[in-house]
Amino acid sequence: MTSDATLSQHLQELRRGTVVVASLTVLRTPGYGYALLETLSAAGFEVEANTLYPLLRRLESQGLLTSEWNTDEARPRKFYRTTEQGDAVATALRTEWTRLDRAVTDLGTTTGERT
Amino acid sequence: MTSLIDRYVFTALRRVPEQQRADIDRELRASIADAVDARVDTGADHDTAVEQTLLELGDPDALADRYAGRRSYLLGPELFGTWRRVMKMLFTLVLPIVVVALAVAEAVGGGNVGEVIGSAIGTLITVGVHMAFWTTAVFVLLERTGQGREELGLVWKPDDLPRYAEGRRVGSQLVVDLVWITLLIAALVLQQFTFTAEPLLDPAGWTFWWPYLIVVMVLEGAYVIWTSRLPVRTHLVTVVNAVLALAAGIPLVWLAATDRFFNPDGLLGDPDVHPWATGSMIVLTVVATVWDIVDQARRTQRSRKGEPVEIPGTGLAI
Repeated sequence: MTSDATLSQHLQELRRGTVVVASLTVLRTPGYGYALLETLSAAGFEVEANTLYPLLRRLESQGLLTSEWNTDEARPRKFYRTTEQGDAVATALRTEWTRLDRAVTDLGTTTGERT
Repeated sequence: MTSLIDRYVFTALRRVPEQQRADIDRELRASIADAVDARVDTGADHDTAVEQTLLELGDPDALADRYAGRRSYLLGPELFGTWRRVMKMLFTLVLPIVVVALAVAEAVGGGNVGEVIGSAIGTLITVGVHMAFWTTAVFVLLERTGQGREELGLVWKPDDLPRYAEGRRVGSQLVVDLVWITLLIAALVLQQFTFTAEPLLDPAGWTFWWPYLIVVMVLEGAYVIWTSRLPVRTHLVTVVNAVLALAAGIPLVWLAATDRFFNPDGLLGDPDVHPWATGSMIVLTVVATVWDIVDQARRTQRSRKGEPVEIPGTGLAI
């Protein structure tokens, strides 16, 4: 029971930040909140609506996303799109992710992975 | 009647900055509607879909905090350590001094025992609450503004580390010792004139023993200052400490044993109380004296051998 709670806490810490990379990557094609939530959860990113929606606004205020209201459909929706700066940040984050992945894998092999 | 969604959105918006309200209102409603539609599409009825969607979004106040980027804590980990140090210092050092000082002032001003104790308790509570409140308020302000940390010396530096060389007392310990000695002398003198209608201790003692004890206590003060300046404790420290302890302890026990310590007309001179008071007095003095001598001898021994000593206040050994 305790180890389950510990594990989920560590997993949560590890996943924190991945939502930002994922969102900035997905939103190179403009999208709105709920659609992004669906896309992310289908892609295997566990993210809650109450985290994602405020996050989108934060990324917008940092200039990594821009937004536009789309009123073409019956329900007006706020569409977010990754800016050039956001794309650069996403690229940097993905590079770092790849580096970490390699580093962790290397550690696993050099220190003798348990089977 | 307002719908469940209206109530949720209103509640969340209440705590969101004004200029973002209209935009978040629109976006949040659209997002909720999208989620509800998705649930209805999979076969849920409308009301259940709304309820589940809102449940998933969670506490609207928490959501508002996230939108506003507010911290949902009073003091963060950066300042908490300093806050705790300051509070500890205030409550273990400053508060006792303030309370005792005001109690002494009250006593000198002619209050009786009841009044002195009453005002001491009053001071303890009032001053304690004020100290805790204002200190915390200042820290919360620092936390919110993120200002002034460097100026106030709140940024930790290696220089801040206490020095633990055995024999060198930490500055505050020296102050505590000296204050304690001063208070004892003050109590000894003041009990003759105030606190109670009749002095607590035998007034006959003023011909020799009470002045003698005051001299011994002044010497204790000199001893405390002397040892605070020594780099290492020597056998001389053990001897001086033992001599001082015995110089105070032996006369106290002897005076108590020969019924010359407590005033027969005073509060503890009452025949019912007197034997108990005398007995406890003798036992306490003997225990304290022996403990003092043995403890100091042990510390000196450790210090000379370079064995681990306790770090004050942590229970760790270095």
